[in-house]
Amino acid sequence: MTGETVTELRASDAALIARIVQRDESALAVLYDRYAGMLTSLLNRILRDSQAAEEILQDIFYQLWRNAGQFDASRGALPGWLLVIARNRAISRLRRHNPTGGEELLENTVVLPTNLESSIAQQQMVGKVRGAMDGLPKEQRAALELAYFEGLTHSEIAARTGDPLGTVKTRLRSAVETLKRNFKK
Amino acid sequence: MSGTHPTREEDFDLYALGALDGDEKAAFETHLETCADCKVQLADSYGRMALLAFSAPGVAPSPQAKERLMRQLALTSPGRGATAVELTPEPGGILARWWEVLLPLAGAFALASVLLWVHNQTLERQVADLRSTIVRQQAQLSQARDVAEMMSARDAVVVSLAEQKNQPEGTARVIYNSRRGLLVYNGHLAPTTADQSYQLWLVPTTGAPISAGVFNPASGETNSIVARVPPGTAAKAFAVTLEPAGGKSAPTGPMILVGPVL
Repeated sequence: MTGETVTELRASDAALIARIVQRDESALAVLYDRYAGMLTSLLNRILRDSQAAEEILQDIFYQLWRNAGQFDASRGALPGWLLVIARNRAISRLRRHNPTGGEELLENTVVLPTNLESSIAQQQMVGKVRGAMDGLPKEQRAALELAYFEGLTHSEIAARTGDPLGTVKTRLRSAVETLKRNFKK
Repeated sequence: MSGTHPTREEDFDLYALGALDGDEKAAFETHLETCADCKVQLADSYGRMALLAFSAPGVAPSPQAKERLMRQLALTSPGRGATAVELTPEPGGILARWWEVLLPLAGAFALASVLLWVHNQTLERQVADLRSTIVRQQAQLSQARDVAEMMSARDAVVVSLAEQKNQPEGTARVIYNSRRGLLVYNGHLAPTTADQSYQLWLVPTTGAPISAGVFNPASGETNSIVARVPPGTAAKAFAVTLEPAGGKSAPTGPMILVGPVL
């Protein structure tokens, strides 16, 4: 690996975004290599269709290419944005909603509790999140997965599972409370 | 500020998760519109909930996905050479009360410029979208051509996949061309539950099974997959397994369909 390549791989997201604004395709390629795996895993989990997942993946990075100038690092880290956008798009597709045109780059602020720019950090996060999910009672985990991976609300989860609405609310509330505590460790 | 702060800390995570609905959601959003502190807290919740993505089974995108993206960038980059409009002064001298004529003209020109600029931006966006559509259609056409050639090639093999004992009913067929590294799957299987996916595998003569796609058929529909694997991969069988939703990097679940390459 050349010194130049190593420097590229270590470039911060902010530096790469700045280069994308200058229409540097290699900067987008580095960001793609950095985050495509993380996003593909999420998209596949939601859609359970690898071709549809790759279509959305391509759209997300193309939107990043087109709208990089709108990205405001003070409103959150790039991987957080990418994960939120990927989830929204996949759930829209799952529910046959019209996908938005990438303007969601402007909407919400997403602050990640940790830096995910390196593959090691991402691997550590996989271990941490899976450990936290494995530690949840089965019913809480199931409710949380229906909410996150299928985009279901309290009422929709209750309708899907046949559980009383109050029970679903309690399960989800306990689940997010436990996760918050575990993520702080 | 409108309304009181959410009484429970978890409401922020539940809102970020998209779980709140009805009055709870409306009340939360009404308050959020005017409360900067809660917006900050919500940003943390969005980040925390986004991390749930890491509980999904790890799946890598195919190498072709990156190639398609980079090709799309190359084809849709805005062209250079915007037309410059040069204005030359009218011959014939300066009018005595030139400003009475020129000021309204300058105003109209400025307004027209702004309108034209906005129109131009819209057109550029539309052109970029059209180019993007063309790239996608070209890719689909290219894939369709590849599939047609592959299916008619003499070295393509057809593999019938049969259901396994004590597993759900189903049937499928794979057409595979190892030289081109291309396969087409067509099958009938019952829909999976929400937390599961089917995954198609190429079992090579040597080495670990290669994932050829994750899918979730709709009820009563034929499911089709076109997948690429490394060219030259000799296959001894194809199989469909039932995996956790999103698929796995190696088969872990029960085999639903299997077909040897004869």
